[in-house]
Order: sequence, then structure tokens, then C-alpha cells
Amino acid sequence: MKKKILLPKLKYKFNFVNFSILIAIVLIIASWMFIYKVDKADFGGLFTEKNAFYAKKFLKGMFGIGEETPAFKDAESWKNVLKLTYETLQMSVMAAGFASIGMLLTVIPAARNVAEGKLTLSKKWYNWILFGFIRVIYIFSRSVPELVWAMIIIFIFKPGIFPGALALAIHNFGIIGKLCAEVIEDTDLRPIRNLASCGASSGQILIYGVMPAVMPKFLTYILYRWEVIIRTTIVVGFVGAGGLGMDFKLAMSYFKYSEVTLILICYLFLVALADIVSEGARKLSS
Amino acid sequence: MQQLNNIFELNNISKVYERKIAISSLSLTIKKGELVALIGPSGAGKTTLLNILANVLKSESGQLLISGVLSDKYNSGKKLAKKIGIIRQQFDLVGQLPVVHNVLAGRLVEWGFLKSLLSLIFPQEKELAKKALDRVGLLDKIYEKTSNLSGGEQQRVAMARLLVQKPEVILADEPVSALDPARAEDILSMLTKLVREENETLITVLHSVEYAKKYFDRIIAMREGKVYFDLPAEKVTDKLLSDLYDLKELN
Amino acid sequence: MNKISHSFDIHKKTILTLLLILAFIWSLFSVNWGPELVHTGGKATLAQIFESLFHPQLSSEIINLALIATWRTLSYAVAGMTLAIIIAILFGVLASGVLAKSELSRRFSKGVFRGILGFMRAIHELIWAWLFVASIGLTPYAAIFALAIPYGGILGRIFADIINDVPKEPIEALYSAGASRIQLLFYGYLPMAASDMISYTMYRFECAVRSSTVMSFVGLGGIGFQIQLALQDLNYNQVWTYMFFLIILVVLIDLWSNILRKRLVE
Repeated sequence: MKKKILLPKLKYKFNFVNFSILIAIVLIIASWMFIYKVDKADFGGLFTEKNAFYAKKFLKGMFGIGEETPAFKDAESWKNVLKLTYETLQMSVMAAGFASIGMLLTVIPAARNVAEGKLTLSKKWYNWILFGFIRVIYIFSRSVPELVWAMIIIFIFKPGIFPGALALAIHNFGIIGKLCAEVIEDTDLRPIRNLASCGASSGQILIYGVMPAVMPKFLTYILYRWEVIIRTTIVVGFVGAGGLGMDFKLAMSYFKYSEVTLILICYLFLVALADIVSEGARKLSS
Repeated sequence: MQQLNNIFELNNISKVYERKIAISSLSLTIKKGELVALIGPSGAGKTTLLNILANVLKSESGQLLISGVLSDKYNSGKKLAKKIGIIRQQFDLVGQLPVVHNVLAGRLVEWGFLKSLLSLIFPQEKELAKKALDRVGLLDKIYEKTSNLSGGEQQRVAMARLLVQKPEVILADEPVSALDPARAEDILSMLTKLVREENETLITVLHSVEYAKKYFDRIIAMREGKVYFDLPAEKVTDKLLSDLYDLKELN
Repeated sequence: MNKISHSFDIHKKTILTLLLILAFIWSLFSVNWGPELVHTGGKATLAQIFESLFHPQLSSEIINLALIATWRTLSYAVAGMTLAIIIAILFGVLASGVLAKSELSRRFSKGVFRGILGFMRAIHELIWAWLFVASIGLTPYAAIFALAIPYGGILGRIFADIINDVPKEPIEALYSAGASRIQLLFYGYLPMAASDMISYTMYRFECAVRSSTVMSFVGLGGIGFQIQLALQDLNYNQVWTYMFFLIILVVLIDLWSNILRKRLVE
């Protein structure tokens, strides 16, 4: 740095992209060094006979080899797992619903152009305070993964679908809120100003000018998050939030690997279903 | 008595944008029922003047009387909306809503919040919207999504909204600049016809001198923030016009 | 008939919204609403957790622990992303079908590799982690592989899309200059796709840090592990200390990736 100042002819231009690449390389080297040296993770140690034995046993178990009636051939297990699949689906819908309600209640003051008073054309002194407060809550709720939220919530609510849905909702509320606030910030101001010149109040501007413009995008984001939520429902189940995840954890702890396979089949089916439904719905809304 | 006949009275209005003078001590009177075209080279302050008349912009000095009342007195949007209606380029409508709601938006000034909300599901005072759309020839498009309409059709929807809003004055900011010539004439003749029928006042910023002479009673030419000439349409000569658009920088 | 389909066209958004609301109401029936939902003393716990939010434990000992744990979480995320990027570039190029010679092989390569990438990302990283722990034991590699597979799947899919969206004219110019398919890749597709690829990778990196936190759940270390331990001790003040470290880490990475993405667009 000092050298650059001493040599004014050599124009030093701070290039953020190159700087970032440098940081990325340093991070990558440091991370692998740390894992290798401090955590003593020996890569060669992965391929010991003992590991090979466990891996083989695990894979065999998953395919139900050596089991009399593997879970995926047993009608009773199917019935049980399908019921859990249904519950998981309900949990994901509930989570998406809670997150959306939370978002709809907070998103308007969380948009910068509302805080500036450009959108509703009314300036209030508390707008900026509200804006900052909600944005901080968004950051807070989305920075913490859903599983960590679930771990905390399970201290308050009894295990079941509700705490799982709540944990998923809190995390996704922050994400969806940020995305939708940005949608409002991109709203075209020209129709809004014209509505105001027709004498519309801020409430009327909201329902005639802002809502029709942002709702299609809101729906798209909600459906997209629902897809992500359904992948994650299984995870919050691990800490006792019901659904497929809880059963997965039990099956793993009791080494019932063929049941693990069955659960994964149903889980993959659910994920695929969510993909199809959400894509169809998005086409409908566009 | 005479004041009641004047819809706008401007006394020494000035407006400065970041040290650049947009309008310098301008005085004007516009009577009820007049059809006025504002012309002049770009940067002459036409749109600024229109925004001051619309009470969207505040002037730095001078005073503006709207129907004999100081413009500052019109502090509520509702009061102003009954006086003044605005039409700009076609981007003024909410494209995602069906046409009928965009027309009925002209009634928002009279409606409370709940009625406006209800109207989005069951259109209220639909007859009013139908009549207005019929007059602009778009009755068959009443439930069409507004963004599916062509530019000219959207301007006609905007006019239907003004018919529902029923203001005393209509301020138009280059309402036909985004349209092809045939469509532009179509819109202008319809707009001036409707304004005459409703006995309203119309003030339009226009690029085209030809249209101004054809459709308007009075032409106000602006240059560098001042009135260059202010004459009845038939008295505007080609000499005056070529002087108006003459580039001073060339000298 | 025409009228019906027309009115459906106008109201389809309303219908969709109604359907979604109905789905939500249906989901509410899965819960027995009532006081049984809450643990006895759940309210007191909630108050306690909320109160300790404002009194995180900030002794130097805890902060030291938090710093190391945060770094461990970050390093797992970085290591996982390194592998994910390698997987994504390999599979993404194959899934884009630009290397294929004939139309048939292009379709085949697209179909197969898009399918593989889809499977990789369909399963949540924590499930992968568990499967790895069950087969290779409790080592950091379980976390790294578990991150690399789904993230490789997501990145690969997007990389393939980006490569497919590259403007065609420069590619055709290179092709007519006699470049081979591999040369087209290195002199045409990849340089043109690079900034979008970096941009998307940065966006995913933030998610990877959060995923890495969650790896603690199968017994791997990091900030998530500390949060879990503190929760087990009912030491909520400590929980929040670790939570704040996690939030700061995520926000910093978010900031970095936002600035970088803006610069890349310029």
C-alpha cells in the first residue's frame, strides 16, 4: 500500500472484484488447512476397512438385504409413512401460510419508497423508525436457520406439527419479507401519482395502485418458498416437530435402514409434487 | 365577478431547479371553458408550468389562484381532484387491473375505503363506467386487462376515467407523444370534443404546432421560462413559430 | 363458452389466491388448537428466552469459544462450497449439452445430468449429512460432502442454464474460426458465463453458511453445536451470544456478496 502512495505514476485502483477473488482464495486455503490440521480430518482415514464395513452394512440395510420384510414391502409401514407424509405436507402449507401472513402485515412499511413517502404520498415521521425496525427483524429471522429456531421453539411448545411449522415460518418470514419489500420498491410510480391526482387516499392508492401491481410477484415468491419449505420440513422434524423428519430420526437411531429408504422415497415424491404444483400455479398466476 | 370566470390566475410565478431557472416571473390568466395549448422548444418550462398548475410543484415566488382561491388552500387531494384532472402519457393506468376499475378510479374521491375495496370484487356504480366507456368507444373492452390494450386505447381509458371524475379543468402533458399520427389525431379530437361537451377547461402541453392550431382556441408559446407569445390559434403565424423554435446558440 | 373461458382468464388470479387460502385453512386442521399445545411453564420459558435476548453473555471465555466455533462453521461452508463448485462446473457443463456432437447425444447428456443434479438437490443437506455419518463416521468430511452434494446440484443446474443463455453470435464466430467443442467451452461459453456464475455462487454461499451451522445436529462441531449445547444447559444468555455471532457472520457475507454482485453487473 505504502509503495503505491510513493509512486503516484502507478495509478492504484482498488478493484473490488479482484480483491474478493483474493479473499476467496485465502478463505479456501485457510479452511482446508484448518480442517486438515486442527480438526485432524484425515482424508485417507476415510477409506479404512472399518468404514468400508459400516458403509456396506448401511447400504445393505437401506436396500433391505438380509431383512425378512423390509419396510418398503410392508403394508403397515407404508400406511404409517404415508400418514406422516400427509402431515408433512400440511406442515409445509401451514408454515408458508404463517410466513405469508407475517409478511403481508409488515411488508408495506418495510419498503424504502414507503418510508420515504413516495408511494403512498404521505410523509410521517415514524415511517423511518418502522422501516428500520422491521428490516432488522427480517435480517434477524432469516439469518438463523429453521432448525435452530425449531430447537428453541420446542422449549415452549410440545412436539407436533405446530412448532415445526412455526420454526419454518419464522425463518421464511424474513426471506419472503425482504423479497416482497423489494417488489414494492420496484413499483411503477406513474399510475400511483395519477391515482393521487384523482383524489385517492393512501388506503385507496394501496388497494388500487400497489396491490394489483405487486400481488402476482408476491404469489410467485410464496410458491417458490413453499417449494423450499417442503424440502426443509423433514429437517425440523428431527428435533421433535413431527412429520417425516421425526420418523427418519427414530429409524436412524434404531438402525432400521429399510425404513429410512421408505421415508426417503415418500420425501422425494413430496418434493417432486411440490415442484409440479408450484410450477403449475405460477403459470396460472402469470 | 370577473374572478369567478378565471379558473387560473398566475402572478409573477417563478421556479428554479438547481440554479437553473425553469420559469421566471410568469403572469397568466386562463378563463373557464378555454382550450389552451402550451407549445415551445424542449426545456422551455412547459411541463414545469403544468405541474405548478396541477399543484404538484410549488413555485418559489408569486401566487397562483385556482378559481379565485390561493393554491395553498387546496391542501387536501380530494378537494383538488374535484377541480383538476390530469392525463399524461399512457403509463398512468394500473396495467394489472381490468379496464372497469381504472375508469372507476375517477370515483375514488367520493368513495370511502370499504366501498373502494368492495368495488374491486363487485364493481360499484358500473353504469357510470359503462356510459363513460361508451363515449370513448371502448364498451366492449370493459373487463379486459388494461395492459393488454394498445397505447391509444389506454389513453381513451384515461379519458373515460376523467369523464367519471368530472373535474373542472383537465391538464394534459403530451397526451399523444407516444402514439402514431393517426392515433394521435384520433385522441386529440376526442379529448377536445369531450371537453367542449362537458363545458370543461383544457390545458395541454403539445410538441406538435400543427395539432395545436387545429384543435385548440388559444396557444401559449413558451421559451426559456417566459411567455413568448399568447394568441388565439388563428392569429399564430409561421413567422412567429419559426422565431420560437429558432436556435439562439447558432448566433 | 368463449365468455366462460374469458371470465376465467380475468379471475384466475383470484381463484388461485382463494385456493391457496383454502389450502392454508385445511392445514390448520392438522393441529389440535388449545392450551395443550404449550408446555407447562412454556410461557415462562418464552419470557426467559426473550429477556435473555437483551443480556447475551459476553465474557471473554465465551467470546473466544464463539469465535472459534464461527470460524469452524465458516470453514466447513467454504470447504463444502469448493467441492460444490467443482461438481457444479463439471456436471453443469455436461447438463448444458454444449460438448455434445450430435443432437441425440446432446439430448441424452442434458437429460441424464439434469436428472442427476435434480436428485442431488432434492434431498436436504442434513439428510445427506446423516447418511454420510452413518456410512463414513463422524468426521468433518461428512459435513463437507453433505454440503457439496445438494449445493453442487443447485449450482450445477443454474450453471447449465447460464451456459445455455450465453449469446450465440460469438460462439458461432469462434466455431467458424475452427475451434473445437472444448475450445469453444474455454474461449467462449465459460468466459461469457463467468460473472453470472460467480454472482450466483456468492448468493448461495450465504445459504451454505446457514446450512453448515445446522450440521451440528448430527454431531459435527461449529456454532450450531455451541447453540445446541447452551440450549441443553438452559443457558439462554449464551444461546443468544452464539446467535449474534451467527447473525453477524451471515450479515457480513450477505454484504460482501451484495457488493460483489453489484460490481460484477457494472
